[in-house]
Amino acid sequence: MTSEAEKPNPSLVSRLVRAAAFWMIPALALAGMLLSWLYRDTIYQSFDDPLEQAVTDLIAAVEVLPDGRLALAREPIDPKYQRALSGRYWMVGEAGQGAIVTPLLASRSLYGETLPIDPRDRTRLERASGEAVRFSSLGPDGGEPLRVVGRQVALSGVDKPIIALAAADRRATSRSVLRFAATSIGVLMLLSFGILAAIYAQVRTGLRPLFDLADRVASVREGRSESVEGRYPAEITGVAEELNSLIVHNRNVVERAQTHVGNLAHGLKTPLAVLQNEASVGQPIDPEIVSRQADVMRGQVDHHLRRARAAARGQAIGLTSVVDEVLSGLARTLPRIYRDKNLSIDVDGEADLRFRGDKRDLEDMVGNLMDNAAKWTSGSVEVTRQITEEKLHIIIDDDGPGISEDEIETALKRGARLDEATPGSGLGLAIVDDLALAYGGGLSLSRSPLGGLRAELMLPRAQ
Amino acid sequence: MRILVVEDDPDLSRQLKQVLKEQGYAVDVANDGVEGHFMGDTEPYDAVVLDLGLPQIDGVSVLQKWRSDDRKMPVLILTARDQWSEKVAGFDAGADDYLTKPFHTEELLARLRALLRRASGHTTDTIEIGDLVVDNRAARAFVNGMGIKLTSHEFRLLAYMAAHVGRVISRTEMVEHIYDQDFDRDSNTIEVFIGRLRKKIGTDRIETVRGLGYRLVDPDDPSKK
Repeated sequence: MTSEAEKPNPSLVSRLVRAAAFWMIPALALAGMLLSWLYRDTIYQSFDDPLEQAVTDLIAAVEVLPDGRLALAREPIDPKYQRALSGRYWMVGEAGQGAIVTPLLASRSLYGETLPIDPRDRTRLERASGEAVRFSSLGPDGGEPLRVVGRQVALSGVDKPIIALAAADRRATSRSVLRFAATSIGVLMLLSFGILAAIYAQVRTGLRPLFDLADRVASVREGRSESVEGRYPAEITGVAEELNSLIVHNRNVVERAQTHVGNLAHGLKTPLAVLQNEASVGQPIDPEIVSRQADVMRGQVDHHLRRARAAARGQAIGLTSVVDEVLSGLARTLPRIYRDKNLSIDVDGEADLRFRGDKRDLEDMVGNLMDNAAKWTSGSVEVTRQITEEKLHIIIDDDGPGISEDEIETALKRGARLDEATPGSGLGLAIVDDLALAYGGGLSLSRSPLGGLRAELMLPRAQ
Repeated sequence: MRILVVEDDPDLSRQLKQVLKEQGYAVDVANDGVEGHFMGDTEPYDAVVLDLGLPQIDGVSVLQKWRSDDRKMPVLILTARDQWSEKVAGFDAGADDYLTKPFHTEELLARLRALLRRASGHTTDTIEIGDLVVDNRAARAFVNGMGIKLTSHEFRLLAYMAAHVGRVISRTEMVEHIYDQDFDRDSNTIEVFIGRLRKKIGTDRIETVRGLGYRLVDPDDPSKK
């Protein structure tokens, strides 16, 4: 695993070039083999055709003498047939037992030798019934390779079938075939390199915009430019645009963070100044002033912490959290906090619900509501879990004094959104409502059948 | 009553020590988790104020260790983190109460009193033994509605005896619960304190049980006669 991860990822260029080489080299090799084979076939064809003509002439010239012997009406005229071991031969023979052919007449060039026939070729001759058969054999001159054309015919006045053969040394032809093959391999290899070089150039050109994009992104990171500029091909325009919006988003986040840190710092400076003055006056410190300023600072810190949390909420996409985990934690903890109350918390309804969002936010919402209920109840808090199509409902009832219609409105009044609220205002239920709204849910308050307040929290449900 | 404060911020722990002493408690301070755990493990504290973000061992772990070693003293957690999950974790580890920073001293004291009260089985901050009233909130004592002047050690001793009214308390136990760690302990001084207390609240309110220790009683309670 690790070794694979450590290996550098091959570049796009090398991927594309290697992919091209992968199919091109076998394809060109196959083409080379095919060409050589076709060439050899053609060469042999043109080599064998005159031999076949010679055999036909030979058979036409054979005469059966009255005593049963054979003679030629006219000898083939090619002078090579006269010169010993010249590489051109002919022979007329009688088919004997098996593969043996008993020579009756032969060219002088054979020099008393015979043309050996492979048993397989011999069978082919027999089966061809008078047609010409082409095959290879070895010659009398130290076994030089020969092309042979033969025909087996029956002559009237002769009992056994007569075989006529004409042969020629094929070494020159083989050399030409080899030369052709070598040349074509060389040419094809050159072609491969050429094509690969062309593909490399094409890929580089094709991917140029990507490399440009990388350069631009680098220059943004190094602070040389503000955004990814330039025009890009349709395929990567989207990427460039996304990058730009990411850069803008990033810049905004940083700016906002700086603003908030600045706000917090400035918010703390005034109370700090007051405290410093108080300490340096040289008279007894007024605890009233200290605690008032401390409250101001506390309010600032609380406000900015909430803000930071709200800003982090944007990253909650894709998170889900288990509702029962949060509920049971709170149901365990609240009776310990309100120990003097003999608090009982019943959790009822659908189990195994999942909330589509951050667990801490769920804790904030449900925790605030349950804490509120625990604060006002005379002992009993009921939590009910329900589901509708895409939402989950958490209903929290208490048997405390409850609140009136007017108070409900005030409790939920959002003077401003959570992130714009001034420190110290809009706490408690309004925060819960704001959070729920941010998740596309909501909080509604009503009179509980238990006599106190009923808070119904509606939140997106994860499957 | 003897309290352990485990808090790493020197200013805050100094302030806490100061405030708690004024309230009539003997106070020891530990500045990190290891020291805090050791002290809570070896000394019989009546309550602990425990910060969660501590060097070396965090507060929740310290608390878990105490609880798994069967140390049952009430523990009040003090922390800057106000998330519910933190509270749940704290209570699950065995905390008895939870207070988030910043806090008002009065609230800390009230909660601590509630913890001590609950631990000794009383329902209010003032304990009445006949016409003797020990007011833990004001750190004062009254006989027949008249306030009596007590030194801090005298009050501590009286408050401890009042919390365990009717029970015989040995001199060693008294030493352990009214002096802080740095004090040069001498169980003979207990006799001196008992003598002074008897003078101030009435001799028959403190019984001597020979060989065992002392007991705070209500001399007018008919069942005691």
